[in-house]
Amino acid sequence: MSTDPRYCEEVLRRLRELPGAGDLPPGAVAALGRAGDREQGAAVELACAVRAGRVVEARFRAFGCPHFLAGASWLTERLRGARREELAVWDWREAAEALAVPAAKYGRLLTLQDAVRAVAGNWPGETGSTV
Amino acid sequence: MSAVIYLDNAATTPADPRVIEAMLECLGSEGDFANPSATNHAPGRRARARIEQARADVAALVGAVPEQIVWTSGATEADNLAVLGAARFHRARGRHIVTSRTEHPAVLDPCRQLEREGFEVTYLRPGAGGIVEPQQVEQALRPQTVLVSLMHVNNEIGVLQDVGRVGALCRARGVLFHVDAAQSAGKLSIDVQRDCIDLLALTAHKVHGPKGVGALCIRREPRLGLVPLVFGGGQERGLRSGTLPTHQIVGMGTAFRIAAAEMATDAPRIAGLRELLWQSLRALPGVELNGDPQRRVAGILSVSIDGVEGESLLCALPDLAVASGSACAATHAEPSYVLRALGRSDRLAQSSLRLSLGRFSTRAEVESAAARIRDEVLRLRAVGLATPVAGAGG
Repeated sequence: MSTDPRYCEEVLRRLRELPGAGDLPPGAVAALGRAGDREQGAAVELACAVRAGRVVEARFRAFGCPHFLAGASWLTERLRGARREELAVWDWREAAEALAVPAAKYGRLLTLQDAVRAVAGNWPGETGSTV
Repeated sequence: MSAVIYLDNAATTPADPRVIEAMLECLGSEGDFANPSATNHAPGRRARARIEQARADVAALVGAVPEQIVWTSGATEADNLAVLGAARFHRARGRHIVTSRTEHPAVLDPCRQLEREGFEVTYLRPGAGGIVEPQQVEQALRPQTVLVSLMHVNNEIGVLQDVGRVGALCRARGVLFHVDAAQSAGKLSIDVQRDCIDLLALTAHKVHGPKGVGALCIRREPRLGLVPLVFGGGQERGLRSGTLPTHQIVGMGTAFRIAAAEMATDAPRIAGLRELLWQSLRALPGVELNGDPQRRVAGILSVSIDGVEGESLLCALPDLAVASGSACAATHAEPSYVLRALGRSDRLAQSSLRLSLGRFSTRAEVESAAARIRDEVLRLRAVGLATPVAGAGG
């Protein structure tokens, strides 16, 4: 069976295994970030458990293409240990490089960036939280 | 031995072994490889005889006489020759064309070219089931209408247009009628005389023949004029110049002869497999059939599966060869224009799959494919957002 050249092995692995998918354990102090629209083909919800000012665990739920789902999955690992300030300036190009995302899909990664920055905006204890 | 279950027969089919055997007889130095235009020598005459036998086989499948068949490189070229050739030849009679929004690009793109040349094109919107009603065509006709172009079977959703009634009304109004039969020839009864079809586009590779060969069946009485697209050696009565590919044409003739003999058994068997597939998939909540449930060709099933994105579902099913109804682009997944013309939302159009069966599809393959699709849909839905899927219950 030949491999589809549109997707790198890491994208295919993440689509197969979907690491980081689902919900945080009940009771976690969490920051949520939502972005996208299913009608537009991509939507994501990132849930980050926060302790001592850092993300200690993250989960995602998403609807979208393989690169988008793999990007959301990758973020649940990338965001561990991150502070709010890092999330507020996180740039989608990091995911593009890590997952060899083609240029045609960069718009999808901007949706992930929006979700990450929404997490920063909804940081627990922050005023103006939209969660 | 491939581990992939092939359910993309609407895209193309594997050649029937009998077709391959016939083609091989025209390739080697011991075979009928000669130029069929070189009738001054025996090898050329043998090749010519095989071309003419194939022409008769293709004509017989569609109720035509051999002289009506002009070989092309496939249905795309046949559609182009029909639409562009007829409109340009008859432009003095009028510059209006009627077609539908769900035609293949092989018709829509020539229509857009004709618009650039000063023609006006009416693009009919089919109903929710994908059917263009003959009354819609009738209402769109004008005194300046020179051509109506309608596909027999839609390549994405498999629905069947009533070409007989449209043909009759076109004939009564003196308007040329072109039918793209790429998805129906060899699978359904077509008769250019009965259905009043002036131009019929055909291809070999959708019916277990080779790729790269097709034909345009052209009304002969009264003779229908066309402006050619290809100029050169004057083959095919000047309508399509170029050395005839004997092996491919023989392959097409053989494929059509087999289809004529086996259609009566193939079609119900394939329709049964399609129904088995549909019944298996519809047991999942949020799965909808695209297109009219009754008026459809045996082998094509198009479904929208709410809650999963088509490209991801396809990617998660590397062991299945099926088609998706969307292509994920820069900032927006581009849903199928056919499904959108039927009124499907972008969300459902992006979540569509086309599964198409052929002569070599088996019950075991269908059962295995249905189980795999169900498993992956449930897995991908489990990580989706909490938007309820219609009928999904808890």
